[in-house]
Amino acid sequence: MGVTPSTGPVSSAGSSIFPTLVFVQGNEQRTISLDHTPFTVGRKVDKDLVIADPRVSRDHAIITSENGQFSVQDQGSKHGTFVNGERIQRKTLERNDRLEFGVRDISYVIFNPQHATSNTAREFLSQISGIQISTDTTDLEKLTLFLEAARKLNTIGVLDEILVTLLDLTLKLTRAERGYVFMKTEEGGLRLAAGRNSKGEPLLDDKTISHSILEETLKSNSEFVITDTSRSLDLAGRQSIVAYDLRTVICMPLKKPQVQTTRDAATPLETGSEAMGVLYVDSRFASRDISSVSNDILRAIATEAASLIENARLVQAEEAARRYQQELSIAASIQQRLMAVTIPEVPFAQLRGRNLSCKEIGGDFFDAVNTAEGLAVVLADVSGKGVSAALLASTLQGMIYSQLAVGTPLVEIVTAVNAFFTHKHIGEKYATLIIARIRKDGELEYVNCGHVPPLLVCKTEVIRPPHGNLPVGLLAEATYSSDRVSLHTGDRLILVTDGVTEAENARGDFFEDHRLEAVAGKSSSMEDIFAALANFCGGTPLSDDCTVVELVYSG
Amino acid sequence: MHLKIEKRATQGITILACHGRIMFGDEANLLRSVLRDVLTTNHKVVVDLADVNHLDSGGLGMLVGVRSTAKADGGDIKLSGLGQRLRDVLQITKLVTVFDVYDTEQQAVEAFGATSA
Repeated sequence: MGVTPSTGPVSSAGSSIFPTLVFVQGNEQRTISLDHTPFTVGRKVDKDLVIADPRVSRDHAIITSENGQFSVQDQGSKHGTFVNGERIQRKTLERNDRLEFGVRDISYVIFNPQHATSNTAREFLSQISGIQISTDTTDLEKLTLFLEAARKLNTIGVLDEILVTLLDLTLKLTRAERGYVFMKTEEGGLRLAAGRNSKGEPLLDDKTISHSILEETLKSNSEFVITDTSRSLDLAGRQSIVAYDLRTVICMPLKKPQVQTTRDAATPLETGSEAMGVLYVDSRFASRDISSVSNDILRAIATEAASLIENARLVQAEEAARRYQQELSIAASIQQRLMAVTIPEVPFAQLRGRNLSCKEIGGDFFDAVNTAEGLAVVLADVSGKGVSAALLASTLQGMIYSQLAVGTPLVEIVTAVNAFFTHKHIGEKYATLIIARIRKDGELEYVNCGHVPPLLVCKTEVIRPPHGNLPVGLLAEATYSSDRVSLHTGDRLILVTDGVTEAENARGDFFEDHRLEAVAGKSSSMEDIFAALANFCGGTPLSDDCTVVELVYSG
Repeated sequence: MHLKIEKRATQGITILACHGRIMFGDEANLLRSVLRDVLTTNHKVVVDLADVNHLDSGGLGMLVGVRSTAKADGGDIKLSGLGQRLRDVLQITKLVTVFDVYDTEQQAVEAFGATSA
């Protein structure tokens, strides 16, 4: 069994009902839920915690539990097992104990670290469920109060606490000995989410739970109640009931709450309610009290529990979506930093560039490199939008930058880039780009790959050279050529992305080439292009990134 | 979604007349799936763009991608009826050298006849 960090829907670090192990290795750290024992540690790949280090023995140590106490036991390891720096053979574990297996310092395990938030949710829940409860309030009323409070508490990480408190109250109500909640896994199996005994101690899954009943309950989606197993003849085949003398077993499916509005009124509600887990309660003695609790009440508990779990899951899904958004904004900020260009200072030319981003992270970038071959500038626009475009843009930027830095001829660069992207079969994604390189003597070489033609501004005359190639990444068989122009002092080369020419105003008109050419010819400032663009668009937001790069040859 | 696609067949050639715009996202996805569907039975397709006012880089990438598939199966996707804006787009990207472009749907259909003869 491998180790999975406790990021499942039900357990979360710090608030799990199971003790946690925080495994630290170098700069990495992960939290492991100690949801079964014995928990094995060693170098062998089948260990629960695999530590790939030659100083760790194959079968190094195990963690066991007895009566709610956890102990670590060395399995005859060569380099020893340490708890808080002391070499041990066997030792009962306390919170925050530091465990080391053979390796010292660089990797270690902290047993069940105390988190600032730990237990607070549950304490809070029991507080609110205890509020205004008069002495003659029945347990059922308490449960109702608790459930109402819990429902309002849609806080992340509270789910485990909810389950534990739910189990405690259910045990109190039914006077059963043990209670468990199992949740259905994606593979259709059952995973222990919480377990408690009537003394309020946490329980792990063990063989004495009748798994055949659990599975049957889940499968049949109907409850299973036996108040005196000794009288039931059909139980002979159920090993655990016979072996452990279980007299009382109650097992209820936790049915997924239905959204009634989407359902056909003629369809009975019950049939579609898929079981998402099981509430299981048992006792080793025939409970007389259990009969005093009607099945309806237990059914109500199961229904409430299911809706609580579903709510908490929705909150967790929301949280996951929020984290995903956060990741995206991190990606966007990384891209922005990659986009940030340190413009090389050269005596013969001035380079400026500016990017106006629309909201989404996009695929525009420009970059500049100065080498013995001259000052090179690249402006590219990757098709599409969003993360995929940004990813491609970053790869493209890296490839082009590194090749420009070593002075590779422009045609070779775009040929290599095209070969790379078409070879990788990245689907319909491609890029249009211009790479231009200007030498000290004013000789400008550029290669246009499907990009908006550059504007060559000589005094007030605006020239749009017709030279062009296919975009990169679209067709493997594409061939490329470059064009050369001699610039004179004061001549300008302006590169834009199609976000500029295709900027739209409220009437649905596009900025288009003629407006761009008019402002480029009239003004010698790049800022005027943006001013004209803003003036044209009015309040209409940009639908694509707009990037303008201007290269002025000063001789 | 700002794209409607009309499908008809003539002389063994499928014509997809597009109305609206073909942009990255919904529209490109729709046209791609319609084209792929058609290509399972007929490799000769004319995409008529007479009533398409906008084709962005995503739409263009999709057309090139699907055309490569058709070509590999011995067919082709020919374009017809491009307005000035769309012609400009194909000109800038030099994709005029890749696609067979015709003024009218009929000319595109006839061109298939000439090549398959």
